[in-house]
Amino acid sequence: MEWLAAGIFVAALAVIAFEWVHRTKVALVGASLMVILGILDEEHAIEAVDWATLGLLTGMMILVGLTERTGVFTYLALRVAQLSRGQPLRLVFLLAFVTGVLSAFLDNLTTILLIVPITLLLADVLGISAIPLVLIEILASNIGGTATLIGDPPNIMIGTRVQELGFLDFIVNLAPVSFFTLTVVTALLFLVYRNQLRVDPARAAEIERLDPARDIRQSKYVKRSVAVLVGTIVAFFLHTPLHIEPAVVALTGATLLLLVAADDVEHALERVEWSTIFFFLGLFVMVGGLEQQGIISQVAGAIGEVTGGSRVGEGMAILWGAAVGSAMVDNIPFTAAMIPVVDELAGDGPFDDANWWALALGACYGGNATMIAAAANVAAAGVLERAGRPISFVRFLAIGAPVTALSLVIAAVYLLLFQL
Amino acid sequence: MPTLREMPLVDASVGRSATFLDAARALTEHGVAAVAVVEDGRVVGMFTDDDLLRGLFPRYLEQLRHTAFLEREPSALGARLDAAAAEPVTAHMREPVVVDVETAAVHVAERFLHCDWGAVAVVERGRFLGMLPQLEFARAVMASRTDG
Repeated sequence: MEWLAAGIFVAALAVIAFEWVHRTKVALVGASLMVILGILDEEHAIEAVDWATLGLLTGMMILVGLTERTGVFTYLALRVAQLSRGQPLRLVFLLAFVTGVLSAFLDNLTTILLIVPITLLLADVLGISAIPLVLIEILASNIGGTATLIGDPPNIMIGTRVQELGFLDFIVNLAPVSFFTLTVVTALLFLVYRNQLRVDPARAAEIERLDPARDIRQSKYVKRSVAVLVGTIVAFFLHTPLHIEPAVVALTGATLLLLVAADDVEHALERVEWSTIFFFLGLFVMVGGLEQQGIISQVAGAIGEVTGGSRVGEGMAILWGAAVGSAMVDNIPFTAAMIPVVDELAGDGPFDDANWWALALGACYGGNATMIAAAANVAAAGVLERAGRPISFVRFLAIGAPVTALSLVIAAVYLLLFQL
Repeated sequence: MPTLREMPLVDASVGRSATFLDAARALTEHGVAAVAVVEDGRVVGMFTDDDLLRGLFPRYLEQLRHTAFLEREPSALGARLDAAAAEPVTAHMREPVVVDVETAAVHVAERFLHCDWGAVAVVERGRFLGMLPQLEFARAVMASRTDG
């Protein structure tokens, strides 16, 4: 049975990596096979689903979807572009940091879907190529999303699974290294693309003609939506002392926003990406099958043997292993499989958070390596293709792989100096 | 209820080798919501007023949900038509909605309600007869009720 479970999981990862079939279908078929073939019984399949992760994702999707309708994020992106006054260095840093910060506090997939179309328009207005700016935004969103519990799906899964880690723990342990990495990577990318980002002063003046506040002035629920979103983010900071789970915070915020800023509930709930929710659901059941068959314990044992139980060795193996695995497959299924492995490695000793930060950094930074490594990359590639400006896998890889390597070196040094 | 044969069809079509501009002209000249793209008498695609708009403006426009900030249009956004004019219509067309001339009116109504534009292609034994505008269809149905 354990070979069958491993076979189903590896086959599912391969099909997801090569994008032969939609990843949600793959995850659901894998989950169904695990249950139908008796690898995992129905009771354990339901127990294997991390409902807190699904709740957190759903709540954030509703919150961000309803707030987005007000035009407040468009306003933010346009104001940032105006602040740059068409100067390439300023434009690149401002766009990278607004993307990074939005990714940290919304989620990186939503951020990319909001920011890329506006960037395409800004690039047209400025008369420059949009591709460098979009690439910088994708990489910034994955790095920025690393900073918080809610910023990137791997962190959401870790944060909801590991009770000892709260929202503030993520900020304290991951935000500084994410900020530093984002600064270094943005500077490097500016150097690479500076010749493609030269703006004609006459075009730069056109940015000033845009009126960013106009959409907001026309919006009905802007104050209520922003108030609830900011209140929810504040509640995330306080969830540990208040003894409230992050999923409860997100779902309460979403419920409040539905009450005060949604005229049509059916329409508001359309903002939930059900394919993503079902993808997670299928993954959790598949990983439950691996756990049930003892495969997770065997992988954890193998890592323990290779590293000789060394704390530094384990941390580095998790960081680089998670990055390579995420780059090749997709950081969501890889993290789902790695979470019980890291849990198993910890054993029954006192709680040690270092390996969790290694996993978060490896999975989130690894998401930058290839076009399929993170949901935000796939989404951005889709937006570019629909806009008639597709980006090839190789072109993404040529920038994504070196950026990932550099980011991982920074992460490794950070872990060695401050965590391990 | 009138049959499709009794309804006024518009002979609005372009060949598969037509350009975006050819299709745009056919659409505006005939004043219908969609023209058929035809090859050897068979409908292989449909070019609608939505496709015309998509061609006239940057393609990312559809993905932007807020554009009121463009109160004064930047000069860079006006050049799209020149670029699109010579592109093949096949790059802009979509899957056609086709109904046979013998189809019952209720089925045609259902087709109209489930497609996002106001004209369907009418065929007889697979060969294109003409475009049926939604408004003409509704007018014919209303007239038959009044006559009855």
